[in-house]
Amino acid sequence: MKNGMGTMGGAALMAMVPPGVRSAAWVAGSDAPEMKEVRLGFIPLTDCASVVIASVMKFDEKYGIKIILSKEASWAAVRDKLVNGDLDAAHVLYGLVYGVHLGIGGLKKDMSVLMTLNNNGQGITLSNHLKDKGVTTGEALKKLVDGEKRDYTFAETFPTGTHAMWLYYWLAGNGINPLSDVKTITVPPPQMVANMRVGNMDGFCAGEPWNHRAIYDKIGFTATTTQDIWKDHPEKVLGCTAEFVQQNPNTARALIMAVLDASKYLDVIANRSRVAEIIADSSYVNAPFEVIEDRFLGNYEDGLGKKWNDSNYMKFYNDGAVNFPYLSDGMWFLTQHKRWGMLKDDPDYLAVAQKINQVELYKQAAAQVNTPVPKDLMRSSTLMDGVVWDGKDPKKYAASFKVRA
Amino acid sequence: MKQTSKTNEQPLRVLLVDETFERAALLKHALQEAGYRIAAHVSSSADLPGLVAELNPDVIILDTESPDRDTLEHLCVISRDQPRPIVMFTHDDDSEKIRAAIRAGVSAYVVNGLQSERLRPIMDVAMARFSEFQTMRMDLEKAENQLAGRKDVDRAKGILMKQRGWSEDEAYQALRKMAMDKGLKLSELSRQIITMAELLI
Repeated sequence: MKNGMGTMGGAALMAMVPPGVRSAAWVAGSDAPEMKEVRLGFIPLTDCASVVIASVMKFDEKYGIKIILSKEASWAAVRDKLVNGDLDAAHVLYGLVYGVHLGIGGLKKDMSVLMTLNNNGQGITLSNHLKDKGVTTGEALKKLVDGEKRDYTFAETFPTGTHAMWLYYWLAGNGINPLSDVKTITVPPPQMVANMRVGNMDGFCAGEPWNHRAIYDKIGFTATTTQDIWKDHPEKVLGCTAEFVQQNPNTARALIMAVLDASKYLDVIANRSRVAEIIADSSYVNAPFEVIEDRFLGNYEDGLGKKWNDSNYMKFYNDGAVNFPYLSDGMWFLTQHKRWGMLKDDPDYLAVAQKINQVELYKQAAAQVNTPVPKDLMRSSTLMDGVVWDGKDPKKYAASFKVRA
Repeated sequence: MKQTSKTNEQPLRVLLVDETFERAALLKHALQEAGYRIAAHVSSSADLPGLVAELNPDVIILDTESPDRDTLEHLCVISRDQPRPIVMFTHDDDSEKIRAAIRAGVSAYVVNGLQSERLRPIMDVAMARFSEFQTMRMDLEKAENQLAGRKDVDRAKGILMKQRGWSEDEAYQALRKMAMDKGLKLSELSRQIITMAELLI
């Protein structure tokens, strides 16, 4: 701030314009944001695109707020800063928000999900040394784990987060118990590839661009994309504390509107190369443009010679279907937390989701930016093992898995 | 549950994870003086879970901004090894204290069911050293900025001398008067003049 370019030459202009004038229009309205600046945390991943674009392309200013982006080094830091008010909101793992609300693994605080940021676009990478052993599929991995005894290590990005749940679901779906048959560790996504290179792990689950990066660096291959585990699965959300929403409902609504605008922009495929260029910068994802762009456009290769155009690539809008905070999406993470022993008892699944997911606020925001909302608060999906999840009987669903903690 | 195995006389063992060597050195020294043992200092660990299992420290202290924190979070939730580490905050309801620790950039993970009363002095030492280091770094930055500011003033003077045909002293006096009239620092005004000159010339 002290030495920013913005202060130079701007001083004269600023002196002439009374400070309140620009925001006067918003102050007059009853839905004026309570805060002018919103500090928003993100982790360097391709799916931080919508919050970055909301700020960089000034969709935020349209709604009377200014997003101050803050790049974070760990999900733990995102959580601590949200809870302590150093961040107002964040691009955050769906399951992490639910974990904090229930106090899994430490800090407990009432949390809120304002909207879902994206569907799809994560992946599971296996190391090339497994490929050398003929392992290219989950079934082959199961055979190796059964047949050749040693410590197998798999990494995800946060214990209660989405990648842990995709990894566990995929391993379990292939008959491998992620808690007892193999060792799981947490590694920050930007360090995944480096860790795999030095032989610290057999596989990892993370967001892009890190799976593509592993192929680019010739150290691993994509065993599955997460959209092949669950087509259009929920992934990152716009999360904050319940306190923030209670005290600043108009700011929260303005934030949803700004990010919805950015999400629409992002789902116009013609805009994506430009966005990939913007987020490749060291201030954001800090990865080569070509590593980000391909999968961002749906152009996949798996590192085993297969190339395809994936129609279930990373989506940010999809006519609003991505962003609606479906209660069944939030409940799913609770069922998995229960399945893997992070929750001892069944929570009141529906009540927790109703409390966290800000459906009413989202609907108000969506109406103002002409984003369609579904009638139903639940949605039905069929996952990789053919099991249907529709949110109707979460307790039964959580107990139905054979492979569990 | 394993409290009895560690008597109060045994010094608590601290694992330090810090990429900033000077800061770690400061903290190491201070902790040792306060009677704690440093189990190890690593800058970053490719195998932090292995290290924790091997060294079995009582406390792990690291930078709040360290990416390694997520690795420890995992050990808090899922671990085949008992006892599990816990995030400091679980046992510390003093939110002001938590905030102060975060501001100072200190995060701690407790491994052997350590009581929060025994952790507190370690946290105080760590926070003090982290803050001290932060002040040192800020002083250094300030000195560097002042140096850069002086260079800007020299450049602005040069521009005025060339454009107005003033002597160095005349240019400097004019700069000072303008800065005072506008309520700006000399270096700020100089930067504005440089920018204007770049735009116009």
